[in-house]
Amino acid sequence: MSRLEEELVHILVQHKQYFEPEYMSFHSNRVDMVYDESFRSVEDEQIDEASRSCGASQSEASTVDLVNPAVLQYLKSIANVMFGSKYHQEFSQVFVTSRRDALAEYFVILEMEKLSIEDVLKLEWHCLNREIKKWIRAMKIIVRVYLVSEKRLCKHILGDFGSFYQFCFSEISQSFMLHLLNFGEAVAMGTHTPEKLFRLLDMYGVLEHLAVDVDILFFEEVGSFVRGEFHKLLRRFGDTVKSTFLAFRNAIATNHSKTPLPQGGVHHLTKYVMNYIMTLVEYGDTLNLLLVDESSIDPAGNKYDTSALSLCPVACHFLSITTTLESNLSNKSKLYKDVALQHIFMMNNIYYMVQKIKCSDLSHLFGDCWLRQHTAKYRHDARCYERVTWSSVLSTLKDDSEPNCVSQRTLEKRCKEFSTAFGEVYRIQTGWCIPDPQLREDLQISVSQKVVPAYRTYIGRNSSNIAEKYIKYTEDDLQSYILDLFQGSPKSLHYQHRK
Amino acid sequence: MPATTENNQGSFLGRISIRRNQVMSMDGSHDQELEDLELFQKHVGDRFSDLLSSTAEDPSGDALLSIAWLRKLLDEFLCCEAEFKAVVLMGRDPSQIAKPPLDKLLPELLDRSVKSLDVCNAVALGLDAVKNLQRLAEIAVAALHVAPLGDGQVRRAKKALSALVAAMLHDDAAKGTERSRSFGRRGNNTNTNTNKDRPGHARSLSWTMARNWSAAKQIHAMSSNLAAPRGAESSGLAQPVYVMSTVLVFVMWTLVAAVPCQERSGLGTHFPLPRQLGWAHPMIGLQEKIVEEWKKKEKKGSVGLLEEMQRMEKLGQSLIEFADSFQFPGETERLEEVKKQVEELGEICKKMEEGLEPLQQQIREVFHRVVRSRTEFLVVLDQAGKLPTPTV
Repeated sequence: MSRLEEELVHILVQHKQYFEPEYMSFHSNRVDMVYDESFRSVEDEQIDEASRSCGASQSEASTVDLVNPAVLQYLKSIANVMFGSKYHQEFSQVFVTSRRDALAEYFVILEMEKLSIEDVLKLEWHCLNREIKKWIRAMKIIVRVYLVSEKRLCKHILGDFGSFYQFCFSEISQSFMLHLLNFGEAVAMGTHTPEKLFRLLDMYGVLEHLAVDVDILFFEEVGSFVRGEFHKLLRRFGDTVKSTFLAFRNAIATNHSKTPLPQGGVHHLTKYVMNYIMTLVEYGDTLNLLLVDESSIDPAGNKYDTSALSLCPVACHFLSITTTLESNLSNKSKLYKDVALQHIFMMNNIYYMVQKIKCSDLSHLFGDCWLRQHTAKYRHDARCYERVTWSSVLSTLKDDSEPNCVSQRTLEKRCKEFSTAFGEVYRIQTGWCIPDPQLREDLQISVSQKVVPAYRTYIGRNSSNIAEKYIKYTEDDLQSYILDLFQGSPKSLHYQHRK
Repeated sequence: MPATTENNQGSFLGRISIRRNQVMSMDGSHDQELEDLELFQKHVGDRFSDLLSSTAEDPSGDALLSIAWLRKLLDEFLCCEAEFKAVVLMGRDPSQIAKPPLDKLLPELLDRSVKSLDVCNAVALGLDAVKNLQRLAEIAVAALHVAPLGDGQVRRAKKALSALVAAMLHDDAAKGTERSRSFGRRGNNTNTNTNKDRPGHARSLSWTMARNWSAAKQIHAMSSNLAAPRGAESSGLAQPVYVMSTVLVFVMWTLVAAVPCQERSGLGTHFPLPRQLGWAHPMIGLQEKIVEEWKKKEKKGSVGLLEEMQRMEKLGQSLIEFADSFQFPGETERLEEVKKQVEELGEICKKMEEGLEPLQQQIREVFHRVVRSRTEFLVVLDQAGKLPTPTV
């Protein structure tokens, strides 16, 4: 009997097989989203677009041979003999030990590092990110392929002895499952800054997908502990995802700037938030299920045309997020001393938001009404800008009703005032930035449509009375100078002379 | 009067919350608060006093470090923990918790909590190893139960018992055996470890904690900075935080002493307990007893002080002796003796069978509770503005 035992061990060890994880046939239904930009990066003006990495998100459940099939029959016969002679305890001892060792070695193949909870909590984000991806992959392979095959193996060899095989399977797999779950627990314990949300959603997704498999694998009484722990973790992740998502809005609201963004362009907070929700849309189904109990209270109490919107929770929350963003941007705009720049800033940012939403899946969530309203907003800001900047400039060209009553000197003085005012606007506003070429051009056209004809008229009417040296610019000059505005590179007209 | 609840602990909590709600101003509540804090300490003292007295020679009590006793220990821990949260958190303004000295002491406690989670996991793994010992013992019991006893059965029992005893004396079991394993893929085994093919060797503890993780070091780290608050601090919230920290460290220390864990040798057998504080006396008493046991076994290098394991070892040794000297058909007197021992061994197996899994599940419950409490504290600290908001 003892010899038989040794032979058993020998066979199990010699003929165990591993399947290479890479060769498993995975296909993705959905690309994995990667969004790594840190919420707090100040220096970067550029925000990387969410990079998409193709990874395996669904694996087909399949079974592999964990032991060379050629020896299965022999193993079974050993089992029969040993069980028959009431040596079943020795058999299961050896069997369980050997299979546990095999599983432990497989974890090494999967490159799963053994991290303590303390280790996980201390990991840098990019390391944690990597570990999470490994974990997701390991969970899928272990649950859907390895353990399914292990159970099948147990059943094949020990199936004749009642529920014994279930017990063996549980002994083999329990501590490994708990180890995997412990990693999940550790991640769920960490601080939940916004950039983690996507990874958390991925982990939640995996747990959700595998729930049924786990229920089947650990269906018996003996497996109820593992099953229970698994579902506990699933619930925790659901809560974690929810609270991280809800905290995102808070994070936006409390994002304070001390100094205004130079040049009045698109704030990186705007870019971050818009790209963030664009990426989140991919997880819409999961989020909708998780958020179904949460009411989203729009802090501004705005009413939207709800008939045009899907009433799904994600839509409500996204609306709330963008509203918070707008409110924050409005506060940021007040940091500019120059009121005109405040308007340019708001215009830039609202426009960016509108474009992002219009050209993506978000348009279905936000609806036409929102787009119309916000288009009107940025146009309004454009008009305000024009009024603030150009009314005073153009007021220098005010014509009196009686041209004859105005002295040449006055006319010339006004010309000079106009040149000075224009030059000042030019000096300052060439340094401002409207990043979007279309928006910039539209505003430039609008400005020139106000300024150039007025100038033309004034000069045309009064040219006879004004010495040439006071007429600094031609129409064409003005036109081309206006095109220099908002390019983000400050210029001055000091040394430019009339052609 | 206190709200009616099922047990003492519940009414205690009810008393606190009612008092809190009644009191509006800080001044009036100060006395109540002091009383609450004192009660907490008293209860801790009482609980550990129970644990200490239950270990008396009286057979109806649970032996020190037996499975049943450990389960009681964990129960008491959960009670202490619940009371601690009630005293420190309930009805309290977050800013009170975030101000000195708690602004340093609480994060330290939370850090200890995280460390204790890993200890819980290590202990749970260790209990797997104990389960394995149980299996070996069961083989011996099955073999020796046969009457009349034959050579074959005795040999069988001896094999199992030898593995059992070897596993209990060598630290290999707890260290894990990655060093001796080859990581060749595709089942390529160039392993020359002669123990490898010996079935039943507790090397079946094939899953271990992180490399370089040490239970002893962990406990030592947890007990660092553990100092009783002095002077003015001793009457505030610093005291219950200290009490809870001490309880946590003590419980973890005890678990590691009892159960085979990775790298538990060198467990600081003298982590300091405050002799001057009344509530700590029962704990000190327990500590002394455990340290005594530890010293006894230290020379032999035992893997765990779990009471059932100790008895198993003794019985195992004795039965191995019997097996060595056995010749069929064996002397009647001796056989009677052996029968008693086998029965006792069987009893121990039964206790393990009934108690190990519930103990593992209880440890898991402790795990979850510690995680949850930690989160609750972090939320409160966050509310108090301890965690910085992002600025651009």
